[in-house]
Amino acid sequence: MAALQDILQEFHRIAASPQELLKSYLGQGKKVVVCSPVYSPEEIIHSMGLLPFGTWGADMEIREAKAYFPAFICSIMQSILELGIKGAFQGVSAIVVPSLCDSLKCLGQNWKYAVPGIEFIPMTYPQNRNTDYGKEFTKAGYQRVIKDLERITGETFEDGKLHKSIEIYNAHNQAMREFSEYAGNYGAITAADRNAVFKSAYFMEKSEHTALVNQLVDALKATEPGKTKKLRVVTSGILADAKELLAILEDNSIQIVADDMAQESRQYRVDCPPAGTALDSLAGKFAAMGNCSVLYDVNKGRASYITELVQEKRAEGVIYVLTKFCDPEEFDYVIVKKACEEKNIPLLQIEVDRQMVNYEQVRTAVQTFSEMLG
Amino acid sequence: MYTLGIDIGSTTSKCVLLEDGNKIAATSLMVAGIGTNGGIKAMDEALEAGKVKREEVAYIIATGYGRKNFSEADGELSELSCHAKGVHFDDPRVRTIIDIGGQDAKVIRLNGKGILESFLMNDKCAAGTGRFLDVMATILQVPIAEFEDQARSAKEPAKISSTCTVFAESEVISQLANGSKVECVIAGICNSVASRVAALAKRVGIKEEVFMSGGVARNGGVRDALERELQVSIKYSEHSQLMGALGAALYAYEKAVAAEQA
Repeated sequence: MAALQDILQEFHRIAASPQELLKSYLGQGKKVVVCSPVYSPEEIIHSMGLLPFGTWGADMEIREAKAYFPAFICSIMQSILELGIKGAFQGVSAIVVPSLCDSLKCLGQNWKYAVPGIEFIPMTYPQNRNTDYGKEFTKAGYQRVIKDLERITGETFEDGKLHKSIEIYNAHNQAMREFSEYAGNYGAITAADRNAVFKSAYFMEKSEHTALVNQLVDALKATEPGKTKKLRVVTSGILADAKELLAILEDNSIQIVADDMAQESRQYRVDCPPAGTALDSLAGKFAAMGNCSVLYDVNKGRASYITELVQEKRAEGVIYVLTKFCDPEEFDYVIVKKACEEKNIPLLQIEVDRQMVNYEQVRTAVQTFSEMLG
Repeated sequence: MYTLGIDIGSTTSKCVLLEDGNKIAATSLMVAGIGTNGGIKAMDEALEAGKVKREEVAYIIATGYGRKNFSEADGELSELSCHAKGVHFDDPRVRTIIDIGGQDAKVIRLNGKGILESFLMNDKCAAGTGRFLDVMATILQVPIAEFEDQARSAKEPAKISSTCTVFAESEVISQLANGSKVECVIAGICNSVASRVAALAKRVGIKEEVFMSGGVARNGGVRDALERELQVSIKYSEHSQLMGALGAALYAYEKAVAAEQA
């Protein structure tokens, strides 16, 4: 069995080098489709023999994309467009952009003009997803994606192949859930390690990533968790990817015992259920998803989901990582804050941005939170 | 036993030398913050004033934005924890602290034991901070120390936007161009800071007694405006600016005692 640190290093290497991996895939003659946040139907792309390659943008100075976006908009979207304009995705067949928030809609529309060499495929999801007509709407969105992919790549869609890909993705979901479960109890797994495992999933073919995650989980099972004095925290938000932020969490002895992050666990909570066709199964998965700021929920169950997660994992607090200018997350924060106050759960909100270069205010806030609970 | 707390902020360095964890032996304040030798100078001045040698100091804790880079410190803590500790020592009845410093504003809520219960910091923006007042003082060419009297003499405060230092600067110039009196503009500026910080305080939840710490606490114009905004009486001390350093010195004493007992 490979040593725990060796496996973690492999995740860090992959997470840090998406450009190299992309070049390697293209060099092998693979057809690659970029998948934008959130909930791109990767299973469909995978089933057609294409390689889904996820992106959440990058921490970078945004220059070119500013010609297309207003200043006060999510920097994840801005940096994805910036990467596109600067040729980071050169050679890929297309980009799929779901419609789940207003900024994503802007990204898709701007992409058509800013990056004309890479075709934009919209994935239009319904707001009311858990009804028969909602599922039909989702399926129609998938069919549009399939039609575009067939036209652009020359590959064909078969329901049987989607069924096989769904099995691969369900197995990956299970592996990621298991990793999160174990990682939270091992003080040696830092916030940066956890991030590398989740981030690398976007750049690897899923069965290969599952195999690596399972190796990691086996290595964890063979290791004593050890006693740790770290502060047990649940993170919530869209993205906690900045190196500086992850280092600040570690510097202040914070252990992420579970997360409600869009880039991390949210997408792995629900598997595709059995259904008449594989496409129905995929629509059924989207219908069953929830507890997410961009998935319409009149009851806003996300707040109680978080407080229950805190109780279940014996966490001592919640860190709400707010992506600057993310309206859905800003609306939800108020409800999450109220729910945490009712349960006497300490809550810290920090604001992050893909363009941030100075994290001192975040450092002070996290340190104070840690001192307050320590 | 002597312990020392040093608070290195964005514009000033403050130091408190504490004797036996309960008596302030000396204090100092240097108008030189992070990135300067203000921290060392403040420490040297406090030691000299207290007639205490460096080697007689059992433990030093640094706080403030320069806390990570002060090589003389034995430990460091966040300025919010230190302000809470310092203010509770000064007045145990305080439950809410409003700390407006050179580059940020913070609201801290304490429980009855002086333990930090919750806190909020401002956005990364100069509005509602000491920097905002400095910019306005430069435009008006009025020393910041005169803001208090000027604001109190204003008959009708001018309306200044509370959202952005840059836009507020052009608003001030427009107000002056339209014939507003300087004292009315100054009162408007103080109201603007107060309105911004009051919004932060309301989000944390105001519990009396309320105390104002940090450099801007010296400005009676802002204190008055905050009292009107929050509809509470706001306590203030001549040592308000030293509360972070005092808290750090108190924590240093606890550490030194714990080290002795270990």
